[in-house]
Amino acid sequence: MNPLSALRRLAVAALFATTALLSAPVLAEQGAYEAPLPAGINTDAELCIHVPCGEVVPGADSFSPRKGKPAYVEAYRSEGGQKTLVGYAFLSTDIVDIPAYSGKPVITLIGMDTKGIITGTKILRHSEPILLLGIPESVLTKFIRQYLGKFVGDKIEIGKAREGEAMIGLDAITGATVTVIAQNQVIMRSGVAIARQVGILKVEPKPAIRFAAVNDKLGWDQLVAEGSVRRLTVRPEQLGMPRADQPYIDMYYGFLNTPSVGRSLLGDDGYNSLMSRLKPTDNAIFIVANGTDSFKGSGFVRGGIYDRVQVAQDMDAYTFRDLDYLNLWGLKAAGAPAYKESAIFIIRDPGFSAAYPWNLVFLANKLDRETGHRDFVSFSDEYWVPARYMEGGRPAVIKPDAPWVKVWKARALEIALFSTLLIVVAIVYAKRDALTRRSTRKNKWPVNAFKYTAWIISIGFVGFGLLAQPSITQVLTWFHSLLFKWEWELFLTDPFIFLFWIFIIVTTFVWGRGLFCGWLCPFGSLSELLYKVGKAIGLGRFQFALPMKWHNRLKWVKYAAFFVLLAVSMFSMGLAEKLAEIEPFKTTYLVGLFNRSWPYTLFAASLLGLSIFMERPFCKYLCPLGGALAMPSTFRWFGLRRKQECSSCKACAVGCGSLAIDEHGRIDHRECMHCLDCMVLYTDEHACPPLAQERKRRLKADLPLTPIGKDGYYMPIKKVIPIKPVPVTKA
Amino acid sequence: MIDPRSMTEPMQPPYASGGTVTRLAAELWDHLWPWSRSGFQRQRAIQAAGLALAVAASLAWVFAALGQLAPAAIIGWWFGWSVFEIAVRMGSKPYVKEGPWWGSRYRRAGLMDMICYVGFKNLLIGAVMFIGLKSAGLLVL
Repeated sequence: MNPLSALRRLAVAALFATTALLSAPVLAEQGAYEAPLPAGINTDAELCIHVPCGEVVPGADSFSPRKGKPAYVEAYRSEGGQKTLVGYAFLSTDIVDIPAYSGKPVITLIGMDTKGIITGTKILRHSEPILLLGIPESVLTKFIRQYLGKFVGDKIEIGKAREGEAMIGLDAITGATVTVIAQNQVIMRSGVAIARQVGILKVEPKPAIRFAAVNDKLGWDQLVAEGSVRRLTVRPEQLGMPRADQPYIDMYYGFLNTPSVGRSLLGDDGYNSLMSRLKPTDNAIFIVANGTDSFKGSGFVRGGIYDRVQVAQDMDAYTFRDLDYLNLWGLKAAGAPAYKESAIFIIRDPGFSAAYPWNLVFLANKLDRETGHRDFVSFSDEYWVPARYMEGGRPAVIKPDAPWVKVWKARALEIALFSTLLIVVAIVYAKRDALTRRSTRKNKWPVNAFKYTAWIISIGFVGFGLLAQPSITQVLTWFHSLLFKWEWELFLTDPFIFLFWIFIIVTTFVWGRGLFCGWLCPFGSLSELLYKVGKAIGLGRFQFALPMKWHNRLKWVKYAAFFVLLAVSMFSMGLAEKLAEIEPFKTTYLVGLFNRSWPYTLFAASLLGLSIFMERPFCKYLCPLGGALAMPSTFRWFGLRRKQECSSCKACAVGCGSLAIDEHGRIDHRECMHCLDCMVLYTDEHACPPLAQERKRRLKADLPLTPIGKDGYYMPIKKVIPIKPVPVTKA
Repeated sequence: MIDPRSMTEPMQPPYASGGTVTRLAAELWDHLWPWSRSGFQRQRAIQAAGLALAVAASLAWVFAALGQLAPAAIIGWWFGWSVFEIAVRMGSKPYVKEGPWWGSRYRRAGLMDMICYVGFKNLLIGAVMFIGLKSAGLLVL
């Protein structure tokens, strides 16, 4: 086949894909991706003017203003001139700020009836790259519909329900695990928070704290040092405001019921007076603060709620009304700092127990500099009464596993198998010298047995099984997470991609990109396997490689693709994600060739079809991830071996499928896929021309064939002069 | 005769023959200081403009640390400087390391070698600066 006609096919396929990307139907798929939201959605009291509350609470025809902390609206149905409360609607970002894979939250409107049953969910806005193109947004909509009819107090998790565990399992979205795990947390935490607030879920009382007989009088520094007084500081920059010398709020706080602490802070009279006003189940905390703003809020009115601070314990949040407030007249502890506002707050709920850890939460709005919108954010600090003040010390607290830990535990076997694959491939490659020496130009099985096995496992298990196909979109996502909100937990939630990237980074620095690209990339493996199969079934005569002249021009395209994507992502992550469709990975593995619209399928199928006739066309010329990894490969620590004769001998260059060996016999490690064919030749005494020549010379001269050294030559024969035995003289 | 073991012809920077510690210290300086006396002799305009641009880029980081510059602007500045640094280095220190970082083999840098070197080095420096400023609360997004 004429290489240029193949090139034309490639160009036509690329044109089709580009046209598809820019066509209107594709843009229409965008849905809630980065959808513009009304300016007042986060702050306006009338939430339901801005969002379709009626869709999530069916049957409701009127809604209250935002109320409570965290905020919700009541949904009413009018019947015979009377309004009946039928449920509640709430915005996820009013309650939690859990980022999804993109580093930004999926803003969700949730509806719940008066019994705590979820009646509706609606995604208002998301920034998830996988849902922009690839997985249709309707799949996420279908996912969140699984919550309808479920009780918010139930234990709902992603994955199959396990025997013996009282949990409800939800079907995940293949290829968007991180997104759905984050979304599950968003919906369940929001639901529980509102259900507790409106009294649907009752707080289960915990054992109350029992104080040990400690009656020390401590100074301020001692109280801070032992953790009886803690500090929570929020700087203006953290709220999107200009930097300032003074913090936005700088709070010291502590638990006053602890006799020694209370007496140290309030004095004996103050402590006794406070305790006399508390019921046995009441708990008191103090806050003193400095800063440019107030923790009480300037808009506080009698009978209202202090909406800037709350105490959280497990899933419960305790807010304070004016009746829960007492004046703090002063701090008696020696060395206590000056402050501009203060308060004593009483937690009256018996569900709270100071024996267990709790958090002081400061609630605020963060200004988005780009849009001018204000988003809800919270800052918290954990407090736990020091062990010496409790009888028997602190109780054992079993914290539930983080979502990523659950994923790692649930997929432990697959993770172990995948890790084993990575380690074995790295060890095999590290020992490549032993394998290439056992191989010859005519029999490369000692190398190929390992490499082909790696390909097949990579395609079947890693690609189609685990969907662990590394992609340039992950690099762009990391970059943006670095800019906005880096959450290790999010990346750990996809263990296979996480482990794969550790492997890629390490091996690229040690050996270059070739080990990943040539041995383990699921798409690269599929591409080259097709080429090998094509050869095996007799299509070899149609197979071709581009002339070096064209190869040397076209190989730069992948670098250009990488730089374009990186540059575009600075301005628009959405557009960069669309352009990243130059990678056929989503179509091949994540979504499936037959589950996407025809331009994507045609593009991926064309590349795979071309791969039968040309070795790795995508990897060589288009792959932006390959381009990104090729750049650090310039500085790989260990390269492949060469001997001086390679500069004039073309034997390796002719057989190099990657076209990585130039006319001077030099290997370009940015292009090399580590097939090891040249290394097999390097020690093949019948195929490597300088070695074969030396072999013939030695045989002719009746000289022994010594082992081949690391330099690729027979070890030199040195004449050994026999040592004459020295006569031993007896004394 | 061309050495096929090196992608470009081997080259020795002035410090290549020194002891390990001296050489690594000199390399560290090389990473941070792209100019050389010989480079200035040959391309005064580019080297001088590079020096001016480097001062401007450094000031941009200072402004970012003072909260006076948006993150997008500092990224733009850093990218612009990186492009110019490639031109400066090609004239003044046109070599890159071959093999492991602890080794002492160097070779002449091709344009792509220099793009890879400067791009990667400045990505690391930028990331460290960015994370540092963000952690210190000096840069907010």
